Amino acid sequence: MNRRLRNALKGLTVADGDRRRRAMEPFVRATFDMFIRYLYRYLGNEVECEDVLEDVYADIWENAERLRHVATERELLRTVYMYYMRKHLREVYRRMNRHLYLPQKDLENLTAPELGILETMSQIEMEQVLHRAMGRLKARERRAVELWMEGYSSRAIANELRTTVGAVKMLKFRTTLKLKSMLNEYCDNG
Amino acid sequence: MADINRTIQELLSDYAGALRDGCVPVFLKSLTRQEGQTIGSSGEFWDATEVVRVLNGVGFAGKAATADVGLFTSRVDANIVSRLKKPKTSSRPRRTTEGRSQTAPRRTEETV
Repeated sequence: MNRRLRNALKGLTVADGDRRRRAMEPFVRATFDMFIRYLYRYLGNEVECEDVLEDVYADIWENAERLRHVATERELLRTVYMYYMRKHLREVYRRMNRHLYLPQKDLENLTAPELGILETMSQIEMEQVLHRAMGRLKARERRAVELWMEGYSSRAIANELRTTVGAVKMLKFRTTLKLKSMLNEYCDNG
Repeated sequence: MADINRTIQELLSDYAGALRDGCVPVFLKSLTRQEGQTIGSSGEFWDATEVVRVLNGVGFAGKAATADVGLFTSRVDANIVSRLKKPKTSSRPRRTTEGRSQTAPRRTEETV
């Protein structure tokens, strides 16, 4: 963890509310980018990410006890997700539950899941691991994932790969599962 | 997402699309009862969603247009101020020691 973040964290754990409030600014500056990218994984929407993050920071100001013994960035991300973000992520979708055919548990797993090994990785670490795993895919599978990550729809990918939309969906599904086992392998070895 | 009773790979594809476009609620509302059951019983679907979230983070989080940190800090500060002003309310009336007999200190406390 860099010194700026460590100092910012120290300021959050003082008892005086006003001092804690002043300490929020350096903390927000040091973590905003990291947190918003992390939330984006679950929401995919900048406006919602900012709304949730605003409440997350205010909760941290109210009670930063959980962050007292955090030593690394990874630990910080994990703690903030588990104790501050997850609650708000669930709230985003809680009201919808009455109108859905999805059991509450599945809804929670889909919108604010337990942290898997992959999800505790930092952005940079994740990019490196994914890059390596992509290199082990077949050319067609890799192309499909690359196009998907560029924002292509299934139909556009099908046009590019000269196949049907159904085949592309199946290809994406199989490739995703393949990537999952490759990434798990990496985590187990690392 | 107009199809009914989509297969698991179609559901994953639609979930990934919804996550990318930031409209997960639309995907959730589109689920039929049977699709809900399909999702619930498919371990592969849950494995795949984890990777989809990772891909979403790596592929699109960097491209997202986020607010200026300075402006955002003032939003956070305003939120804190509003919490400071808001009196802490609770559904139950506060307990007071008034009118209650004082219990004798425990033996362990005496020794300390």
